[in-house]
Amino acid sequence: MAEIETALLEIIKEHAVGLTEPPTRETEINDLGIDSFSIVEIIYEVEEKLGVEVPFNANENPFGDMKTVGDLIDALNNLINK
Amino acid sequence: MSRSVVVTGMGAVAPGGGDVKRFWGSLTEAQCAIETRTYSPVEDLSLTLPVAPVNGFEERAKSLGGQLARADRFSQLAIGAADEAVADAGLEIDDALSPRAAAIIGTGIGGQATFDQSYIAMLRKGRRPHPLSILKIIPNAPASHMAIRYGLRGPAFAISSACASATHSIGVCADLIRSGAVDVGLAGASEAILTYGAMQAWSVMHILANETCRPFSKNRNGLIIGEGAGILVLEEESRARARGAEIYARVAGFGMNADGKDMINPAVEGATAAIKQALEGVTINNPGAVYINAHGTGTLMNDPTETKAIRAVFGADADRLIVSSTKSMHGHLLGAAGGIEAIAAIQALRNNLVPPTINYDEPDPECDLNYAPNETVERQLNVAVSNSFAFGGLNAVVAFERV
Repeated sequence: MAEIETALLEIIKEHAVGLTEPPTRETEINDLGIDSFSIVEIIYEVEEKLGVEVPFNANENPFGDMKTVGDLIDALNNLINK
Repeated sequence: MSRSVVVTGMGAVAPGGGDVKRFWGSLTEAQCAIETRTYSPVEDLSLTLPVAPVNGFEERAKSLGGQLARADRFSQLAIGAADEAVADAGLEIDDALSPRAAAIIGTGIGGQATFDQSYIAMLRKGRRPHPLSILKIIPNAPASHMAIRYGLRGPAFAISSACASATHSIGVCADLIRSGAVDVGLAGASEAILTYGAMQAWSVMHILANETCRPFSKNRNGLIIGEGAGILVLEEESRARARGAEIYARVAGFGMNADGKDMINPAVEGATAAIKQALEGVTINNPGAVYINAHGTGTLMNDPTETKAIRAVFGADADRLIVSSTKSMHGHLLGAAGGIEAIAAIQALRNNLVPPTINYDEPDPECDLNYAPNETVERQLNVAVSNSFAFGGLNAVVAFERV
């Protein structure tokens, strides 16, 4: 859990062109400045970095109406532990 | 009343110049942008050959930002050229114009660098391809990026006809404007296949020159692959005049057809018919004022075939024309060739200067026209023609006239 959180925050930081400060769990996703490419890139990098598989299917709207980076971390954790 | 189409903007990212001014400068100064490069994607694979690369574009590509910074090089080169063309035209695409603005942007291959990287990752490194590989590879990526970047909501798609892609795109876009379907359009093509995989594929065809490109010269021994993009802004003439745009040339005619004979060998009849069709509505009072930017690949087959086609169209007047192959300087940009060559043709018309066929040092009885050998020629021009003849026997020819 903590490992995923640390790795994910690091990956999100690389994509968050809209931020001046490093992202935290409380950071709003809307403030990250990420685009439609970023979510698949972030998931790919999580898989590559942690050697896990994220059973993500964009058609299933797995992230619902996430608001914060913490929501994204929790959603990814749920997918990984599925 | 028939609608006329004019060129109001141009953009080029080409070997020899990262914009139209520098590209045109390099042509008129007879500079050769061909150099030797080594492609070695992994330690045990390496290929060294002469090519015509675009140098120094990487920083500009990064500055495109957002999704373009992660696009394949062929999209980045296309946007580099399109940014210049749109700014050059002073084109403002508002809500009213947006649905009547097109982007017809060709490519011969598409995202070759992404293909190469994906297969190396999968087959050599046991990794998966990048998750955006499909979006990078698809041939319509440049047209789509342009639609997003400039707010175009009219027809946008790619035309793929190998080495005739750009000329087909320009001709089809002009026809869309002429028909009344749209009022303005970005037209041209992009190509970026200077990768290990693609260069190997070309090498094994045994048609690449071993040193440089010598179109129409008896000692020619093949083509040199280049990369880049050439984009025009085409516009309905009365609209361009109403907004006070500078008009560079009128699209006077377009011809296209298929040889229907052979995938490799070109046919004189097809090329002849395409040139004739492009010149159908063009009044030529003085054949001496006609410049043909030849397909002129420097291969054994193309150059005499093209020469015969030009002779078949012009008859005795063929000796008064001036013809050149700028591929001798910028190499063969494949799908994008007709984009930057249309720009060379239009610039020739505007400046009354014919860029030369360089590396020409031995006349060939089979190639017996005036090819502007080795030095830029000053000549009063009224008409400029750009020829593109593709593998697969696909021919596209566009004619521009002075306005």
